[in-house]
Amino acid sequence: MKNKYIIGGFIIVLFLGIMGYLFTQSNIKYENNLALVKSTHKTVKATGSWVKEKKYTYDSENNLFQFYMKDDKGEEMLVVYRGAMPNNFESATSVVVTGSYQDNYFYAKDILTKCPSKYQEQPAAQSSSL
Amino acid sequence: MIGSIILTFALVFSIISMIMYFLNFKGYRNTISYARIFYHLCSIFVIVASTFLWYYLLTHQYQYKYVFSYSNNSLSTGLLLSSFWGGQEGSFMLWILLTVVVGIILQSYTSKRGDLEPRVMTIFTLAISFLLLMVSPWFKNPFEYIWVNPIFVDLKSINSIYLDLPFLQQFLFPDPQTNTTYVQVSSTLFASLVQNGIDPNTFIVNGRGLNPQLLNFWMQIHPPILFIGFAMATVPFAFAVSALMKNEYKDWVSQSFPWLLVGTGILGLGIMLGGYWAYEMLGWGGYWAWDPVENSSLIPWLIGVAAIHTMLVQKKSQSQSEGIGRYAKTNLILSILVYILVLYSTFLTRSGVLGDASVHSFVDPGMLAYLFLIIFISSFTLLGLGLIVYRWKYLKSEVPQDEGLFSRELSLFTASVVLCASAIIVFVGTSAPIVGRSVDISFYNEMHVPLAIIVGLLNGLSLLLKWKTTSTQELLSKSVIYLAISVVVTVIIILFGGVNDIMMILLAFSSIFTIIVNGEIAIKIVKNNFDKLGAYVAHIGLAIFILGVIGSSAYSNEKTLNLVKGKPTEAFGYQMVFTGYEPIENATKYAFNINMNKDGKTFNASPVMYIAEYNNSLMREPSIVVLPTKDIYIAPLSYEQTGDHDHSGSVSIEKGKSVKYENITLTFEKFEMGSDVMQAMQEGRDFQLGAVLSAISDNKNISFILYRKQSGDKVEFTSFESKELNLRVELLNLSAQGVELSLSKLDEPKETVKKEAEEVLVVNASIKPFVSLVWIGVLVVVIGFFIAFSKRLKESQLSN
Repeated sequence: MKNKYIIGGFIIVLFLGIMGYLFTQSNIKYENNLALVKSTHKTVKATGSWVKEKKYTYDSENNLFQFYMKDDKGEEMLVVYRGAMPNNFESATSVVVTGSYQDNYFYAKDILTKCPSKYQEQPAAQSSSL
Repeated sequence: MIGSIILTFALVFSIISMIMYFLNFKGYRNTISYARIFYHLCSIFVIVASTFLWYYLLTHQYQYKYVFSYSNNSLSTGLLLSSFWGGQEGSFMLWILLTVVVGIILQSYTSKRGDLEPRVMTIFTLAISFLLLMVSPWFKNPFEYIWVNPIFVDLKSINSIYLDLPFLQQFLFPDPQTNTTYVQVSSTLFASLVQNGIDPNTFIVNGRGLNPQLLNFWMQIHPPILFIGFAMATVPFAFAVSALMKNEYKDWVSQSFPWLLVGTGILGLGIMLGGYWAYEMLGWGGYWAWDPVENSSLIPWLIGVAAIHTMLVQKKSQSQSEGIGRYAKTNLILSILVYILVLYSTFLTRSGVLGDASVHSFVDPGMLAYLFLIIFISSFTLLGLGLIVYRWKYLKSEVPQDEGLFSRELSLFTASVVLCASAIIVFVGTSAPIVGRSVDISFYNEMHVPLAIIVGLLNGLSLLLKWKTTSTQELLSKSVIYLAISVVVTVIIILFGGVNDIMMILLAFSSIFTIIVNGEIAIKIVKNNFDKLGAYVAHIGLAIFILGVIGSSAYSNEKTLNLVKGKPTEAFGYQMVFTGYEPIENATKYAFNINMNKDGKTFNASPVMYIAEYNNSLMREPSIVVLPTKDIYIAPLSYEQTGDHDHSGSVSIEKGKSVKYENITLTFEKFEMGSDVMQAMQEGRDFQLGAVLSAISDNKNISFILYRKQSGDKVEFTSFESKELNLRVELLNLSAQGVELSLSKLDEPKETVKKEAEEVLVVNASIKPFVSLVWIGVLVVVIGFFIAFSKRLKESQLSN
């Protein structure tokens, strides 16, 4: 029975070790306080809502989509996303952006929009990449 | 109502059947016939209940909340049938329906194999009882009436003959944001309707419909196949627990094996179809996004495949008279885990815990259902793993000898360990949102490259090893030729394919090694022993799949292109020209045609974009040109017309607010609406909306009305000019938020810097080399599973 435990144990320990390491390195926290998001360069999933008064822009030449989001305390930040406006964006009430805060804007790798309208349960849409 | 009653009866029958089966196991001989009768009654009632749900969907009975929420009048029959599983309640129904059908076959199968039936069916009916509880009126009942809980229904869905009812006014809620009016449907409204002598069933005449992303062929086949896989995962669990109940571990392996093979094969096919759907329709850009919903069905599949490998060893070592066989404990644990992980998958995707993390959105099921799901999982975990702990002492006494280091037994076990490691990684990553964390896609990708390399090497190596033990010398002399050929082929790939990443080279090498070793054996045995081909076919399929993954993801090339109509743009060596768009599918969608030209050959791509009425959003569908060695994947991003509209210099005014222009104060006083505007909007007749404005300067005060006129799909806006004020006001837009105006002076000619109108289509184009190998690979794997199934089915009969 020894061989079984040595080989099996070795693989499990090795990969769980690498996994544990990668997990602590690359795990991303959900953060709904934008002041905290702005204070770090770490990759986070910032949650908040789109500031409708400040319109979004899409620069098709550079394929950059920009908009402002704010948290429930009113803290705002500019979000820049390389890609097109996600489906559902205009009707979204809450937005989850994954990325990190650079000098004066949030560079999003991924945008997830949620539309829990008062009247309709709506599906979420994501602009996803692989 | 009748649906709920039928389901309640089915639940009662299922419980009676379970008790009768259990009593039979405990030695009461005459209960078995009752158990069978009640099981079949339960199945019939579930089938009848499902038929009712289908009937309600087909006949648009919107008084049922489920029918209202997931279907509407415009769905085709095929889509109406598949709206059955469009929501949570219905997908539970589908799961139950398929489980009872699997149960009918299982009952007949087990009744022919010794004393298996009472034990297996006790567990199986227990699982069915839990599922039936899930759709009972306390939790997720698909037959709930729409009146039970308050819900907002678009005024358009209400039967127009009731719109004039005076008491209806108090249930109306206008939503200025979307310009729609909603009716709050509730038990109070129901009571008012009945009071006024109105049949409540005729009140709602249209439903919300399905999410536009689900409106296609794949919705009709992907969920049922996936759920067959889920339903069949119950069987290995039932077999393992029944072995533990009897404390006899020899026969269950052969008996459970064909079920595990076919169940895993079907689940794998279901997962792949989901990936293909994402690739072909949803425009994710890839076939696998490590999305929680995809992952959660992958985890039980990986464990199922791991179990297949160790069960094979147990079977083999039984035949070599090694008692109950090797890895008996491992097999029990893995078989039990397959079902527990299916339940966990359901929990992850239905409980709302992944609310912020998934593309697939599932509405929060409510606290009760959430708790019930937890009880469901805990009960089955306790039952399965608890029994293993209970029998552990006995199981430990059945220890066979140590296997040789170079034995096929150990290499199969190692393969199983690697698959479990993969499952653990996906499990941890997918579960992370529960603790407020999340992992990047790279976490999965980086972890799986080395795992896949090991899998490929083991895949070839295990076949070069003999059962029990192989001498080092024999192994070396056997493998040297295969390794040499693999090295040569890999070098060719490196030189001609431009593969240069060390991990990718290793991965390609290990896949080719797999193909060569398995291929050679497959060719040797195909002539006289087709039966035994399953494993080799599946392994070759896996290797083909991995080569496809290397090509399509590691060597994919991607570009964002601005295609100006009529102007050729160069990308990836193709001349691409956007030639214009055309309405398709009754003008509900628009196809944007692109001509691609390379070396005199022309290809056409037509990505699709449209605004879905369902969620008022822009939806996009990619277009794929499939070539022998690669796919050209065109995902539309946006379409813009520039130059013909100059909105700069426009002002927006909310109702009651004012703006200053020169020395004029312009105020938006109020909306001007005819009495029948609401009615006209609903019926789709022409109508006009007005905005009353006033312009005040010094002592002049002029009031005027601007109109937004709609006839059919055409919208026109009026404008106003005043010589006195030297003012021109053009209405650009009118919505509930207010008006948008363009202001200019009469004596200054309006700046008409009309740029030349340009139509620009923005697309994301990518080249995905050998992506077709991904699909071919998975299909070959599935075929392998089925060949193996037919062989093991015969063996399971022989053993009795």
